[in-house]
Amino acid sequence: MKYKISIFFTIGLVLYLIDTGLNSYNDKEIYISDQEIISLINAWKSQVGRNPNDDEIARIINNLVEEEILYREALLLGLDAEDKIIKRRLAQKISFLKQESIANNFSNEEIKKYFTNNKDKYYIDTKYTFTHYFFSYENNSKDRSEDSYQGLTNKLPVNSDVFFLGKNFVDMSKQDIENDFGNNFSSHFDNIELNNWIAPIESAFGHHIIFVSKRVDGYYPDISSVLKQVEVDLLQSKRDKAIKKFIDEIKINYKVFINPELKI
Amino acid sequence: MKYIKGLLLLVGVYIITLGLIYIDIEDSRPIVSLFKNLQSDSSLEVVDFSVDKEQIKDTKPAPNKDRNAYYGDLHVHTKYSFDAYVFGVTASPDDAYRYAKGEGIEHPLGYEMKLKEPLDFYSVTDHGFYMGMIQAYADTSTDISQNDFAEPFHNLNRLDNLTVESAGERSNIFSSVLGATIIRPYPNWHPKLLKAYFTRNTQDALQSFDYKIHKSAWADIARSANEHNDPGNFTTFIGYEFTTSTDIEGGNLHRNVIFNSSKASIRPWTRIDSINPEDLWTWQDKLREKGVDTISMPHNPNGSNGQMFEMETFKGNAIDREYSEKRMRNEPIVEITQVKGTSDTHPLLSPDDEWADFEIMDVRVGSRPPTYSKPSGSYVREAYLNGLTLEFTRQGNPYKFGLIGSTDTHTGAGAFDESNYWSKVGLLDGDPENRGSVPLAEENVERLDEYMRAFNQPNSTIELEQGTYANTGFTQWGASGLAVAWAEENTRDSIFKAFKRKETFATTGTRIAVRFFAGYDLSSIDINSDSLVSDAYEKGVTMGADLMQDENKTPEFIVWAQRDKNGAPLQRVQIIKGWIDTNSGRPKENVYDVACSDGMNVDPITNRCPDNGARVNISDCSITNNVGSSELKTLWKDPDFVSSNKYFYYVRVLENPTCRWSTWDAIKRGYKPREDLHETIQERAWTSPIWYTPYESDVEVIPLGGTIRLRNID
Repeated sequence: MKYKISIFFTIGLVLYLIDTGLNSYNDKEIYISDQEIISLINAWKSQVGRNPNDDEIARIINNLVEEEILYREALLLGLDAEDKIIKRRLAQKISFLKQESIANNFSNEEIKKYFTNNKDKYYIDTKYTFTHYFFSYENNSKDRSEDSYQGLTNKLPVNSDVFFLGKNFVDMSKQDIENDFGNNFSSHFDNIELNNWIAPIESAFGHHIIFVSKRVDGYYPDISSVLKQVEVDLLQSKRDKAIKKFIDEIKINYKVFINPELKI
Repeated sequence: MKYIKGLLLLVGVYIITLGLIYIDIEDSRPIVSLFKNLQSDSSLEVVDFSVDKEQIKDTKPAPNKDRNAYYGDLHVHTKYSFDAYVFGVTASPDDAYRYAKGEGIEHPLGYEMKLKEPLDFYSVTDHGFYMGMIQAYADTSTDISQNDFAEPFHNLNRLDNLTVESAGERSNIFSSVLGATIIRPYPNWHPKLLKAYFTRNTQDALQSFDYKIHKSAWADIARSANEHNDPGNFTTFIGYEFTTSTDIEGGNLHRNVIFNSSKASIRPWTRIDSINPEDLWTWQDKLREKGVDTISMPHNPNGSNGQMFEMETFKGNAIDREYSEKRMRNEPIVEITQVKGTSDTHPLLSPDDEWADFEIMDVRVGSRPPTYSKPSGSYVREAYLNGLTLEFTRQGNPYKFGLIGSTDTHTGAGAFDESNYWSKVGLLDGDPENRGSVPLAEENVERLDEYMRAFNQPNSTIELEQGTYANTGFTQWGASGLAVAWAEENTRDSIFKAFKRKETFATTGTRIAVRFFAGYDLSSIDINSDSLVSDAYEKGVTMGADLMQDENKTPEFIVWAQRDKNGAPLQRVQIIKGWIDTNSGRPKENVYDVACSDGMNVDPITNRCPDNGARVNISDCSITNNVGSSELKTLWKDPDFVSSNKYFYYVRVLENPTCRWSTWDAIKRGYKPREDLHETIQERAWTSPIWYTPYESDVEVIPLGGTIRLRNID
């Protein structure tokens, strides 16, 4: 009985050895599947509009072989290791995988926490309401605006120009003001005096004598008034941060070494 | 036995059904077309993609009844477009909207793209057909990628592939999608074909198509648009590109379609449904009946080989009023400028316009090798004239459209700035060497040659003074353009309505602003008064509108342009007038300078401003100081006017010359600009026209031949 088992065992071992001998992975062998060749020939056909002849097929296959050889030799030399493009591409691929599948039902705590941590995002900027006299660069703006400003203090009528973007500006943030006037115009608003005509300020289009009638200081809104927006932003940030979370989770398994002596 | 009988019966019924369907398809007589009534139309299923998002009341500015100019881009591709994805673009619609709001995003080659000043509105318009499919092919974890047609796309993710060297392979894949060689229908007996037929969803009959993936890509685009829409501050539009062309000649008939609300069809209506734009309009009409309004906007007429603005229909029939009205109902505005060139006019069409030779792109879109696109039928000014001619022959005017610009960027991020330009196709043209503005490094010459041969373009380089340059067509592209709407407030509704009434203008990326009014009593308005704009709205009509004849009165115009605060000062404002005379219908055009910079006057004989002396120093791209205007404003009366003629008038605003992107590219890298390209350009803006319409003539126009249906008058 024992004898019989060892015969089978021996035969099995021999078969196994023969098999592994025949199939052992050899990095100097290249296998090309039928499908691969057919799809290349199809691509060729769609490009040229006819079937490739035998020579051309040989060339297609030869190109493929050479590409594979170069690829493997490059791997052997370790050329893939320090290639930024390769790294980035792989990193992108895995982040796409990680970004899928994010649930969008959040707990109240989660939403509150996000809101608290990102308060600045919801900050309502300081808003200014003002009117102005405009003096165009096309019409001697500097002198006219200065004269008019002197005149204003004596209640003289002002002969100003019409401004392309209008006369009265309501609830403008500093950014809005900058977008409309340019030339760092909004920097004059920080400590601007209310309800008084201000000495001429230069914009990208000329000079302006402005009168600020209202200023509403910036504030952080109550969460209830921005709840839906917070939810949307939270979902977006989760999508963005999925990969970051993934990294954080596995980062602890890595040790990072940096030469402390390095001088830059 | 019983089962066999049953089975045979079933097969029999199936075959008869198929037979009847074939008759249905081939035969349009109502008696035979039994099944047409049973069809549902998947393209008309409406979905509300809105995200529940309340408005913070305090942050929404009050509407302005005199309207504000809002700047945006209505032509943006992301990773969901096959030709963006294959060229390395991984930016999502979310990334695109963030870019428009002012955040920086990354170019496929690794550098940051960021706007100087955020935009007011943006629409991601990925290609509708095969939307989302290419990533699915490339992602080997999906079922559809396991098919053999998906295999070339697997290679896309080959490790070393995100480089300019992969251009040849990528271009090949691109063309196999465009050439539709991967479209392979199921065999005729297949049940999928029945399903496709009964839901009018042709794409479902294709083996290479997965409806679920397609719908989810579209839903993600709509979701992103709705999430980023912020009424009062930033507007988005759900949109896509209807990428169609003529069967022959490769005439580009591409259009972008945008929706007016958070609602849209469950899938984009694409070239797989039909390549005929008239069928697109039918679909838009049907959607409108369901309460969903859309507009489609043709782009790159310059690369259409004369097919965009033809004098006949897609199928070669005579244009009639029904066609004209349908076209105008659905296509109120046209993209006059974008990265792939400007379509105002061509030097051959407007030989007397000194500014006609501007950013001309004279090859058919996507042609390989690049193939000349004939100017006639490809430019908007000629189309306006042809529109008047068609109206003259009582066929209606299908070319009474307004103007916008946009970029057609494929990186998610529009390049509007000549001094900071990344063209639009990602890896193919993301660096100066490959877009031909600096000489190629020696090792890159052969590589480019080889890859461009694979792309069917044997002559891909050119020898010039400073060396060998890429000559693959990108030198004809440029940093353009913007769509601008005059709207009461920055909301979907308000801006969409501006598009529909054509109260729009286009710029080449600069933020010039321009007002334009026409009327018979505008000279009574004080153009230096603060009420100028509201008076002009009250007493006249503005861009995009009609001015009807009022006896023998001559129209007056008010034009007012303001410079881009970050751009060059203004050089001049022009009014471009086109008309046909009442007797012969002969088309004519004239360009009038109407306001000159630096207080100079127009020469009344030549209608031209004197030279203001502004020049560009090519060695560093600096421009002459203190020349040019911050604003130009004038009242103009047409000096040669005949009240019985049909006219259109539109404004062109010109900046002082500045360096072209190719010059910036060169000097930044220590080269001189290429001698065969324009060194400088004049950034500009064009308004939608105002049309002057005389009383209906009682002369009947009777064409010879008489087989075409022209006289369905009123």
